[in-house]
Amino acid sequence: MLHELRRELNHALKEPALRWLVLIAFSLSTIALLIGALTISHQKDMVLRLEAAVTAERLLTIKDKTDPGDIAYNLFHLTFDPPTDLAFMALGQRNERPWLHRLRMLALEGQIHETNDSNPEILILGQLDFTFFLSVLVPLIIISLLFDIEGRERREGRYELICAASPLGSRVFHIRAAVKSLLLTAAIILPFIAAAISNNLTILAFLSVLGLIFFQIVLWVIFCRIVTCIIPEAVTAALSLVTLWLLLTVLTPIIGKTAVENSLPVPNGGTILLTQRETVNAAWDLPKETTMDAFIHIYPEWKAQATINRPFEWKWYYAFQEMGDQAAQPKSWALYQGMTDRHEAMALVALLSPALFIERAMTELAGTDVLQHLRYVRCARAFHADLRHFYYPYLFNEKAMSENDLAQLPEFEPCAI
Amino acid sequence: MTKSLVTASKLCVERGNRRVLDNISFTINKGDIFALLGGNGAGKSTTLLTFLGFVKPSSGEAIINGIKVEEDIQAARGQIAYLPESANLYAHLSAYENIEYFLSLAQISRSSQEISLSLDDVKLAPKMRIEPLSSYSKGMRQKVAIALAMLRRSPLLLLDEPTSGLDPVAIDEFNTILKALADAGTTIFMVTHDVYGACEIAKRVGLLQQGKMASVFEAVGETKISAEAVHQAFRQSQPS
Ligand SMILES: Nc1ncnc2c1ncn2[C@@H]1O[C@H](COP(=O)(O)OP(=O)(O)OP(=O)(O)O)[C@@H](O)[C@H]1O
Ligand SMILES: [Mg+2]
Repeated sequence: MLHELRRELNHALKEPALRWLVLIAFSLSTIALLIGALTISHQKDMVLRLEAAVTAERLLTIKDKTDPGDIAYNLFHLTFDPPTDLAFMALGQRNERPWLHRLRMLALEGQIHETNDSNPEILILGQLDFTFFLSVLVPLIIISLLFDIEGRERREGRYELICAASPLGSRVFHIRAAVKSLLLTAAIILPFIAAAISNNLTILAFLSVLGLIFFQIVLWVIFCRIVTCIIPEAVTAALSLVTLWLLLTVLTPIIGKTAVENSLPVPNGGTILLTQRETVNAAWDLPKETTMDAFIHIYPEWKAQATINRPFEWKWYYAFQEMGDQAAQPKSWALYQGMTDRHEAMALVALLSPALFIERAMTELAGTDVLQHLRYVRCARAFHADLRHFYYPYLFNEKAMSENDLAQLPEFEPCAI
Repeated sequence: MTKSLVTASKLCVERGNRRVLDNISFTINKGDIFALLGGNGAGKSTTLLTFLGFVKPSSGEAIINGIKVEEDIQAARGQIAYLPESANLYAHLSAYENIEYFLSLAQISRSSQEISLSLDDVKLAPKMRIEPLSSYSKGMRQKVAIALAMLRRSPLLLLDEPTSGLDPVAIDEFNTILKALADAGTTIFMVTHDVYGACEIAKRVGLLQQGKMASVFEAVGETKISAEAVHQAFRQSQPS
């Protein structure tokens, strides 16, 4: 057996087409990992830069200021979802939805759902991460590697010669397919091993990704072998395999996603943002008592301090900010619930699409799936609530803030996965 | 006492719902050369493929050295070195690399000296031997395939039009090699369109006509088969 493997390995390595395919696989694997690593390091840099900027700004903002309303209005706080060690392999939602918000104590919904300004740049190249490579491109490479193993020998009149010469008969082609698949696997895995070492991946994460890589390769090798055995003619076999790829990798996820999204409608972020802004804008013209009564309903503890006597008071201003959030919040919860439901429903679709299955497994491992995005949003929301609860006593008691008070400002702590 | 190495017994073969071999029977004795002649599509290659087990007879039997091909294909193939009709060896490999690969496939080891000697036998220019076959002429490639078949040193050589593409001198040389192999005990079953060459070396010549064995000619003693007679039978066997 070893003899057979060694011979077929030598033979395969002399094949120019195979050398090209292995080189392409190796390059794509490397490029995909580099794109992921660059994107993540870019995101980490951005956090550091913004943290520094926010700290610098804060010093300027609070300089000589004591009015809590004024300070709260001007102070920005950085909230973000720090990437996991594995995020570079599956950018997932980090490439689609905001993973960072600079928040103020103003109404939150607008700040959360505003996409253009708080959303760090989304890189087109980020689509080409390792997960995309593995789930979408690897099957195509496997197909081009294996569709013609027997077909070529038949076309060139060697099939019978080979089968007659080898004591294994036509089984020698299984060995050939296995050797080629192993070479491809090595080309895909070597860059990953290097990346895993340089990123200090845990053994568990490493083995999980390795398992997914093997799963995808073995699955498509089996598909290729079955199809080429049923359809001896190489071009027809290749077309059938590409059709299968199209079905499992492109059509099933698209149709599944469309079906899931249609059956589970969610409010969109724009509507939520609008609801909040309209409520806030309308509040300027409402009688102040109306706003304050509604606020007191939620925060009875400030009842005694809720009378507004002057034309503008910060507590009134922040009260209607919060009322704007209250108006929009049911829609936000519906959106988050809907996103969760859709994510769960897509799990069924993933059973029919290996590509989707791998994407979900990878983003889950990497902490870049929808659930992690929602965790981060919850975390940012909790921080905003902390901020409000911190400022309300100063605002309602109209107490000037000392440096000491400001030192007590809540700090955003990223939520662990 | 001569023993028959190859036996076709009432072989019938269907291909694509058509009867391609119709009740064929013949035997080839050990160390004999049997040449199968016939027009295009007569079923010559099919006969060889049946002995290799690639085509299953609908009735009758193909037997090699006592092994019924249908019962143990691998054992039967183990007796055979086969040269296919249009054996394109690997174009990106040299003569040496091709031979090494196919010998290794058959789990046979030959020294590089033996390989060189065999390539000497077929008169392949030494300077070409390390060049890829893509730079060879058709006849040169055929020579490599022949050298490979001989290196197998199998009891039975199945050759499908081995001299197609060879120049007249090379054909003569090839026939001489075959004769020597047969004298040394190798049994040779060849399909050919070269009537004169076949009659020159073969112990027996079979004429296949639309799947039926139309006639068999045999060399008696030192007298060779008459090429004229075979030729005439061939012409008569062709539908006008
Ligand atoms: N793969 C196949 N499927 C179906 N029919 C086939 C196949 N190969 C050959 N045949 C048919 O079998 C018959 C015999 O073909 P075969 O190749 O044995 O002829 P041949 O005597 O070797 O001819 P040639 O001198 O042209 O090589 C032909 O009529 C051909 O059409
Ligand atoms: Mg033929």
